[in-house]
Amino acid sequence: MSSSPERRAVIHDIGYRTYDGPRLGTGSVATSLFTTGLLNAYGFGRSAKAKVLPLVVLAIMLVPAVILVAIMVVVGLGEGFIDYSTYATSLFLIISIFVAAQAPVLFSRDLRSGAIVLYLARPLSAAGFALVRWASLAVAILMFVMLPVLVLYAGALAAEADVSEQTGDLLVATAGIALLSAVLATLAGLVSALTLRRGLAVGAVVIALLVSTGFVAAVQSIAVVEGNEAVAVWAGLLSPFTLVDGVQSGLLGGTSSYPAAPETGVMAAVYLLTALAVIGTGLALLVRHYHRQGKR
Amino acid sequence: MNATITRLAARSLFGRRRGVLLVVLPFLLVALSMAVALLTEATSAVDPVTAVFGLGLVLPLVALLVSTGVIGPEIEDGSIVYLLATPVSRLSVAVSKQVVASVVTVVLGAGAVLTSALVLAPGSPGQALALGLGAVVAGLAYCGLFVALSALLRHGTVAGLIYVLVFEGLLASWLSGLRYLSVGSFGRRVAGALTDDLDLVVRDMSLVYGVVAALVFTVGGALVTAHRLRSFELRGDD
Amino acid sequence: MSMLEVRAVSRWYGNVVAVNDVTMQIGPGVTGLLGPNGAGKTTLIAMMAGFLAPSAGTVTLDGEQVWHHPTAYRHLGLVPEREVSFGYLTARQFVRAKAELHGLSEVGRATERALEIVELDADAGRPIGTYSKGMRQRAKLASALVHDPSVLLLDEPFNGVDPRQRLHLMVLLSRMGQEGRTVLFSSHILEEVEQIARQVEVVVAGRHAASGDFGAIRRLMTDRPTRYRVRSNDDRALAALLMAQDFVRGVSLEPRGAVAVQVTDFGTFAHALPRLAREAGLTLLEVIPTDESLESVFTYLVSA
Repeated sequence: MSSSPERRAVIHDIGYRTYDGPRLGTGSVATSLFTTGLLNAYGFGRSAKAKVLPLVVLAIMLVPAVILVAIMVVVGLGEGFIDYSTYATSLFLIISIFVAAQAPVLFSRDLRSGAIVLYLARPLSAAGFALVRWASLAVAILMFVMLPVLVLYAGALAAEADVSEQTGDLLVATAGIALLSAVLATLAGLVSALTLRRGLAVGAVVIALLVSTGFVAAVQSIAVVEGNEAVAVWAGLLSPFTLVDGVQSGLLGGTSSYPAAPETGVMAAVYLLTALAVIGTGLALLVRHYHRQGKR
Repeated sequence: MNATITRLAARSLFGRRRGVLLVVLPFLLVALSMAVALLTEATSAVDPVTAVFGLGLVLPLVALLVSTGVIGPEIEDGSIVYLLATPVSRLSVAVSKQVVASVVTVVLGAGAVLTSALVLAPGSPGQALALGLGAVVAGLAYCGLFVALSALLRHGTVAGLIYVLVFEGLLASWLSGLRYLSVGSFGRRVAGALTDDLDLVVRDMSLVYGVVAALVFTVGGALVTAHRLRSFELRGDD
Repeated sequence: MSMLEVRAVSRWYGNVVAVNDVTMQIGPGVTGLLGPNGAGKTTLIAMMAGFLAPSAGTVTLDGEQVWHHPTAYRHLGLVPEREVSFGYLTARQFVRAKAELHGLSEVGRATERALEIVELDADAGRPIGTYSKGMRQRAKLASALVHDPSVLLLDEPFNGVDPRQRLHLMVLLSRMGQEGRTVLFSSHILEEVEQIARQVEVVVAGRHAASGDFGAIRRLMTDRPTRYRVRSNDDRALAALLMAQDFVRGVSLEPRGAVAVQVTDFGTFAHALPRLAREAGLTLLEVIPTDESLESVFTYLVSA
């Protein structure tokens, strides 16, 4: 060791000293928070136990798609056998479980542990934090629902179905799934942020998603039996799944999975506006909630 | 049965916000029934509203929230040691907690089912009573199952949800053999035995099996919970 | 008078050994269970309290196994580190509930007595959630004392408690020890243990490192130099004299007058010092062991 005394005397920068090198902007903060959140939603970056539930549920979500593809390829069915736009709604239970179990991961933990204060001390604002968290959850749900649909699409192509027709159907389903993910992420995020206890948050999200769907299903089936289509269609606004299903079938030409769907363009527009209003209001409330947390 | 544990469990249910959540579901069921009764004249609504939505969704969810509420948080944060560091028998602790969960589930869940059926079909109280009784049987069995689940697992709520939604809701409707393990079908079997007005899709299960199986879930749940409490381990953070 | 016996107890989680072949007897009086964080103190207390099964060995209270024997709680009180999640109960309701669970005949009187012991009777009508850390700790203590147990186990009772309340708790524990109860408390802070317990059990990395009076433990470690501070009428002469001895490793003069001596053999030093001083005509004013504090005992054990 022949270095000069000046070179040997060094105060190491372990983070407490003023850092004056280049800094990454708010954008990078948001991006890394987004990626972490997305991975966390599937249990990556968390304990092994935390990976079990999301991956098992994802597997359950994929099973029907794989079976359908297998049948399709073996039997040689190509046309009209599957419908991308109804896949999500027919597995709404699985989606709800995923959303209910994983939304608290992104929205309850920071608030409950108080770590939120540390996050908000960073350059990212409370609104930014809330929106990035929301985006993580929405994209996590989107991937969750899209993956089996893409499997179906690949299967259909492998079975030599008509490419342009399949692609068109896929795009319709994708738009619907994107809207569904946004609505679900908004509702689940808001409920989890407001209910801090994990078990309670899971219960509350499930109630919000499933009970509303069960409620709508009951009202619609009665209204249809009674011949009161209008009530049935209006009731469809009350649950996220029927809401998005209505937009998909009414505006985008998808197939509805529920007894009543909007028939007229006006009603379909009401469905779309309701969906957007839910997202808008939910996000505003979420941002307001995080804003208050940051001030404590 | 231990009166002190019962009292503490009841307070932990209604002393916090969870209490509101518990009342929301039964309220929704009754409100829906009233709205349907006002808007339509048909008594056919008993099937989709009371049987499917009430018995199939509201009752198990109420039972789940109540059951996990009486024991889950205490096990999760370890504060159940305050109850267990006493000579009270573990079975008594388990039974006391399960009794509280069951009473609340019967009053709120089965009560709402009964009310819903009465509101929708005031002309046939026999049918309402049958559904109410079915809800009581199912409610008791659900509580046994869910209390045990939340005593055994950290994520008891999620496990219970998966049971209700995936096992009972999805799988049991495809694979009809699974109805022999579905608490909901025990309840519907009991209700179906008492009324002919409803088609409750469990025709071929024997009534005796339904009742005995529900009893097994109720008693078995308490035994499993007691066993879990007997071997409750306090883990340090280190 | 109760005796808690830990015999050849080990506890492992998977392939991590938390407690490794520990044998100890805890008798009446206050005993400090000392060790750094992660040493296995909580695991050990959990096993003593019957809330953890030993992977090997036995834990008995007066000859009876604690694990799977809830009847042991008639004589055993536990103050866990975990907070009470019954924050919505008042301290009186909480302690009363414990009294009822113990099946005491005079629930009301037992409750008030326990609250008085911890001096919480004035605030007992408030919900525990509104308490300070020290008050919550006292509420937990009251709930553990309500059935007048002969054995009291406390896991980190002084953690996060402010100094005034800490002193109060210490006085309480000392008094219980004097009353003949078997009191065991864990701590990773030496001065806490030193203030109320001469008797210590030291665990380090899951192993039972030392046991007994901590001064005696210190003297057992003869391979380590022991430090003394000696004041005399002529420090410099004494220093020169001591430096010539075999059993002295080092000598230094302290700025305020006094000789700091490191000796390798404490026994020989204790015998030789008065003789040497008399022969040289020096007057010894003060001889103080400077590292018999638990701090240094502990440092030695941990770094050994």
